Amino acid sequence: MIQRLALAVLLAVAAIALLAPAIAPAPYDYQDREKTNAPPDRHSPMGTDELGRDRFSRLLYGTRVSVLLVPAAALLSVVLALLLSLPAVWRVPLAAPAVSGFTTISLSLPWLFLYIILRAELPLNTSPSTSVILTFGLMGVSGWAVPARVFTAAMQQLRDSGWVLQAQTSGMRTWRIVLVHGWPHLRSLALAQLRILVPVYILSEANLGLLGLGVAPPLPSWGNLIQDLQHPDVVRANPWVLAPLALLILVMICIECLQTSPDISPESSPVSLR
Amino acid sequence: MAAAPVKPVLEFRLTARYGAHVVLREVHAAIDPGQIVSLIGLSGSGKSTLAMALLRLLEYRGGAVTGSIVLEGRELTGLSGAAMRGIRGNRIGYVPQSPAAALNPKLKVSTLLRETWRAHATAKPPEDAFASLLESVRLPGTSGFLNQRAGELSTGQGQRLLIALAIMHKPALLLADEPTSALDAITQAAVLRLFRDLNRRLGTAILFISHDLLSVAALSDRVEILHEGGLVESGAPAQIFHSPRHPFTQALVAAMPRDLRSSSPLEPEVPGPEAAGPEFPPP
Repeated sequence: MIQRLALAVLLAVAAIALLAPAIAPAPYDYQDREKTNAPPDRHSPMGTDELGRDRFSRLLYGTRVSVLLVPAAALLSVVLALLLSLPAVWRVPLAAPAVSGFTTISLSLPWLFLYIILRAELPLNTSPSTSVILTFGLMGVSGWAVPARVFTAAMQQLRDSGWVLQAQTSGMRTWRIVLVHGWPHLRSLALAQLRILVPVYILSEANLGLLGLGVAPPLPSWGNLIQDLQHPDVVRANPWVLAPLALLILVMICIECLQTSPDISPESSPVSLR
Repeated sequence: MAAAPVKPVLEFRLTARYGAHVVLREVHAAIDPGQIVSLIGLSGSGKSTLAMALLRLLEYRGGAVTGSIVLEGRELTGLSGAAMRGIRGNRIGYVPQSPAAALNPKLKVSTLLRETWRAHATAKPPEDAFASLLESVRLPGTSGFLNQRAGELSTGQGQRLLIALAIMHKPALLLADEPTSALDAITQAAVLRLFRDLNRRLGTAILFISHDLLSVAALSDRVEILHEGGLVESGAPAQIFHSPRHPFTQALVAAMPRDLRSSSPLEPEVPGPEAAGPEFPPP
């Protein structure tokens, strides 16, 4: 029941975020300079920020950025991990030690500091689209190592399995064996990795945004929307500033509820020959 | 005029090793078209290694093979990976030991059949091809069975399905690696009879690998005894049973029950319909 409720909440958040242009009372970057830091009213349900932008509209657009791009970054990590694990397992010469070493190096790199250095090298007026690509692209590229370790171990088991041998003796092509025989077993692992990475990336984006290193304004994201929380007087004056944080916490709780769900995990029932 | 000598479908002389450990040393044998040869040896004597070596799959499992493997007049040892892929499942079929291990439990029977077909054919399979193939190994060709997952099959059904997959492209040679060791006695006899029927019907030569001399005696035209990495004795089943020459073969025969030894070659007796398995009244 809790899992279904969590799923319903997540779907609702995703739907509202995707419909942001239709629902939002104003564009996310529209500034009404005569109505800065205004309290909530009929036109601005959550009030306005210091530049006169509608907080509710910015929350909707910010949710859209996070809801669309976090899963995309997680998917990029999982796809990269799958692609890099394949040659390590299918006996491409020197690929196994190369991928293993590359994974170890990737896991030991302080990605946050590298990202701060990278952003420091960029001009201050970096465009929002560049910052989006950098933020989520870097998350996607830097997050492949842990899933790659999981996939490599799983694929090694698959490679040495009896059914892969049977497929080889049937004359099946390697890519076909991976696709037909391997994927049904890797799919649940890939989904599990996605479920692990999505909340990690939501929090990462929030952390970067809080530091002013995430998505560049005026484009909103959960990360740069919670920057306002650094100013207690703003929070006291307009508690609606907490809305992005509340939404982030709600989404994280719902994702955690899904992680423990036994009824939506794919192919969880064991099969055995009798 | 003397008849032309029969060209063996398979002739090999090979040495197989894992690193420095030599598992098979200069093992040599030939199998004529349509012949059933049984390879008997103890567990760990290198029987499965020989099967993997003949399929050129030993290198995938960390081993190495030197020597010669000639299939239908074609030397296999120098062939590329792609060329060998074209031979596996097409000219050499392989029936593994355990359906529990060899059938992907998540795949449907229809998927396994379709993928095995696609490995060597670009055209669609003829209508009802899979149904008739399944019926040839005494499995139902119904859509219900085709939609079953391999993990839902019984061991006997799984073994028959493995045989169906192995014979789909009508190979010249079938390597059967202890295909009955996971089966109960009745299913074992039925599967042995099925192998004999397929051999007679399709003319497929069979290399039957087993540790059980008794179970394959009736099936075989010739028995090869593998011991400590080499073939130590070769002969007709009757000769192996009644006058074994090598001490290992003598020990093997002596280990069999006396009354069974004296009645060789042994016919796998299966009551009920031919190879379909018996039907018994309920308790």
